Amino acid sequence: MPEYQARQTIGELLDRQGISRRAFIKYCTAMASLMALPPLAGRAMAEQLRAARRPSVIYLSFQECTGCLESLTRSFSPSIENMIFNVISLDYDDTLMAAAGHRAEAARDQAMKANYGKYLVVVDGSVPTADGGIYNCAAGRTAVDILTETAKGAAAIVCVGTCSSFGGIPFADPNPTGARPVSDLIGDKPIINVSGCPPIPEVITGTLLQFVTTGQVPDLDEHRRPKVFFGNTIHDRCYRRPFFDQGKFAKTFDDEGARNGWCLFELGCKGPTTYNACATTKWNGGTSFPIESGHPCLGCSEPGFWDKGSFYAALSTGTFGRAGNLTPRDAAKLGGAAAATGIAVAAGATALARHRRKVRMTDIQTADTQKEE
Amino acid sequence: MDLLQFARGPALKFALIVFCFGVLWRLTAVFLLRHERTLSEPRHPVFRALMGGLLAAGSRSAPHREFIRRTGYSEALGYSYHIGLFVVVLAFGPHIAFLKSLFGVSWPALPNNLVTVIAALTLTLMLAVLLRRLTHRVLRLLSNFDDYFSWFITALVIVTGLMASTHFGAPYEQLLAWHILSFDALLVWFPFGKLMHAFYIFPSRAINGYALARKGASV
Amino acid sequence: MNTVATAGAAAAVKTAFDRQGALGEDARVDRAMAGFACDFGALSALRLESCIHCGMCADACHFYIATEDPQYTPIWKVEPFKQAYKRESGPFAPLFRLFGFKRKLTADELGQWQHLLFDSCNLCGRCSLICPMGIDVAALIEQARHAMFEAGLAPKELYEKAAHQKRTGQPEDSAEPYRDKLLAIGRSHGVDIPLDKPEADVMLTVPRTDIEHYPEAVAALARVMSHMNVSCTFRSDGLVAENYAYYAGGREWQRDISRRLIEQALACKVKVLIVPECGHAYSALRWEAAELYGRPLPFKVRHITEYLAAQLDAGKLRLRQAANGVSTFHDPCQLVRKGGVTESPRKLLRAMGVELRELDDHGAFAFCCGGGGGVLDIQRAAPLRYRAMESKLREVDQTGAQTFLTSCSDCRRTFDDGKRHFNWDKTPQSLLELIADHLGSAQEARS
Repeated sequence: MPEYQARQTIGELLDRQGISRRAFIKYCTAMASLMALPPLAGRAMAEQLRAARRPSVIYLSFQECTGCLESLTRSFSPSIENMIFNVISLDYDDTLMAAAGHRAEAARDQAMKANYGKYLVVVDGSVPTADGGIYNCAAGRTAVDILTETAKGAAAIVCVGTCSSFGGIPFADPNPTGARPVSDLIGDKPIINVSGCPPIPEVITGTLLQFVTTGQVPDLDEHRRPKVFFGNTIHDRCYRRPFFDQGKFAKTFDDEGARNGWCLFELGCKGPTTYNACATTKWNGGTSFPIESGHPCLGCSEPGFWDKGSFYAALSTGTFGRAGNLTPRDAAKLGGAAAATGIAVAAGATALARHRRKVRMTDIQTADTQKEE
Repeated sequence: MDLLQFARGPALKFALIVFCFGVLWRLTAVFLLRHERTLSEPRHPVFRALMGGLLAAGSRSAPHREFIRRTGYSEALGYSYHIGLFVVVLAFGPHIAFLKSLFGVSWPALPNNLVTVIAALTLTLMLAVLLRRLTHRVLRLLSNFDDYFSWFITALVIVTGLMASTHFGAPYEQLLAWHILSFDALLVWFPFGKLMHAFYIFPSRAINGYALARKGASV
Repeated sequence: MNTVATAGAAAAVKTAFDRQGALGEDARVDRAMAGFACDFGALSALRLESCIHCGMCADACHFYIATEDPQYTPIWKVEPFKQAYKRESGPFAPLFRLFGFKRKLTADELGQWQHLLFDSCNLCGRCSLICPMGIDVAALIEQARHAMFEAGLAPKELYEKAAHQKRTGQPEDSAEPYRDKLLAIGRSHGVDIPLDKPEADVMLTVPRTDIEHYPEAVAALARVMSHMNVSCTFRSDGLVAENYAYYAGGREWQRDISRRLIEQALACKVKVLIVPECGHAYSALRWEAAELYGRPLPFKVRHITEYLAAQLDAGKLRLRQAANGVSTFHDPCQLVRKGGVTESPRKLLRAMGVELRELDDHGAFAFCCGGGGGVLDIQRAAPLRYRAMESKLREVDQTGAQTFLTSCSDCRRTFDDGKRHFNWDKTPQSLLELIADHLGSAQEARS
């Protein structure tokens, strides 16, 4: 992309493209409300944003499925998407950019050089480290190599999706590629994790927008996720919560409870331990979210979500056994084996006790006989 | 692996293994001991003695009328917190899901708020039980580490469970992890302490009752 | 964790205890523990395993109720043996030994338990009825007595009487042998004493207590038997019903003493061995003799009231109406609560038209007189025994009955002793004597 655009303020760019101030304020207010900021903050944000220069963004894709990018591009508000690409200067994204091959790589080098220390790196996908990182290469270089080089001049790194944030599906046991989250590899840069598989489009854009507006890393939780989007569990905000509180649970996907829209806890809903904005922001332009369509939350925005047992086993059950979750069959086998060992040990202990008893009886009798003699 | 995963995974597995192993060890070792032969002429035929044993298994659930005046308070206290424990363990949705994963059967749950209130009441009653144990001259003399530790670990499970269900003091997944961990600890302790009375109570009543009933003695 | 240490503190005042034999202190403890562990079967283990330390047994025990002293809590009386069990026979005994969880007692500490196991326990079994876990606490205490005996830690009165009885058949020396005394009682009461018949249907025994203290009861027994025209006999070599080794805890001595009676009964080929009015003799012969003897007995063992009630049903015993006013009846623990002889005495009383006014706690729930389990013979236990029997006397008073009956001569002697101590206005009477005084003629029975 042309270099001059990066030097323009966002306001100048919007004016040139004929986007009204009013429409921009409306967009910012919507964003502000999403982030649970007071309504007036939207106007202030709009002013700040208009004055800000568009930051250069380098979007790196590693071991990923492009679902995160799909999520982002399937935003139901095309004008908003448009704005996003006007608010930032997306200088490198090997999926979206028109350029390919050496020219694409050159664009990255150029953006890094021109904005050294100021550009934003967005990472999508986990980074394979096994066997020298050979499982993910672009232009003959490994992901580790590209990431390390690109991160050097970054102002901050935004990890989009659970793979870059926590390792995600490539990280799942047995993790053959030695996949790592970005935070494992880069220690000296601010990292913002926008987890989810994929993350909610508005959460991605909102996080980027907040960084552009304030130039600062937002308040993060212990997993480095922006608290504004990841402050509550799905369960906390779930419209089915009253059924949980009433003890009304769907037991199968087609029972009366399921038809009545009761709580999906017993069907394995991970809502209680999953921090995300699904229950409030929802998906597809606020249409719905998994639980609303009758499926339990998978907990996709949490570290290791793939390895926490079956998606369909309740949170209060064990996460071991043949199917990755405790079943009565497993329980019977496990308990039976333990019980059988217990019986064997008990038989030993009793035999020992009997033996000791015999010895002591003999001792006493011997003592008695000696005494009598 | 986070704490919750540890609690639900390896810790729970270990606890269940120790529980089954220990319970069977303890029960078997007792029943494998010498069985005294009874040679005296029974007062009643075996069948009546067996009925006496069964009767004792049930009837000792309530004190004989003659004793109520002296033991009414401890009976009432004991009953109420045991009932509380049963309700909390058996009627709370997530617990039912856990039991279903073990035994494959499930049943309807009570409203969570109700269970939470009952759990709080149960905890209060358990405090009363502890207070009584600490102050009553007989109980203070009889009590040993087992009594206090078994109380502690049971109370701990209730406290962490209450905290989890009311989201009090820490993020839910941590509270849940502590709750499950404390339950794991209870399972591990179970076979080694007085919690075993859950397994002994009916055999003990029935077998002692049978031994008494064959003499025609009162059960 | 060490409960024995706290127990020592609770029983701050050290009680004196008796020792037998010349065992070293360590050997004493070892033998007690081994004696207890050796005695151990599954049933006893189940009893110890089941205790949840609820303390309710204290509320059944007259020694605790009278004193409110927690050391008299029945299950506490076996505490050292509970620990021995955990170390020696319990499921986790190897672990206990490996980690040294349970410290060994000193002989002195164990000696303190003599007071709890003998002086303050009548083996009355009331605690066995209150236990919510169904534990037969009294059976455990009986077992702990065995261990104490093994260690030479029984009270001297019980030990000496048991030793004497094992040796001579009589618990103590008497000016003339019991055989002669028995015949003398027959002469002075004008009844025929059947003695040493080579064969009979029924063998009679006599409590030493009756020979020494209540000769009328002995005469009554002979009179009632002759009234029913039963072929019966006393045996010179198996006269005494009591078994002091049962009290003292000497298992082998108890067997030897019982064997004397068993062999006499076998010799004269009786069908029934009658236990006279003596509670613990009933327990020893009815429920423990066959086990100790090693095989089932070929004759029945019956308490005199049981036997008489059966004879009443069979029409062989005929009774006249007794005009002795309102009566109350003390249920001897070994006969009623632990032995199941509950209905027989009442049936006999009804047959004599006696108006029976029951005690508040009667039948299976009756309080012990305080003398059972050998306590009556332990001199130093007397002050505690008096405290424990006070409420019993009050209960008797509250019935307003004029006649106070019982069917155990040890209970009777305990009440007589209490009568002297408290200047009590009631005199315990023998049910058997009442029956002997109201035997009817054949004519009366027909009318």
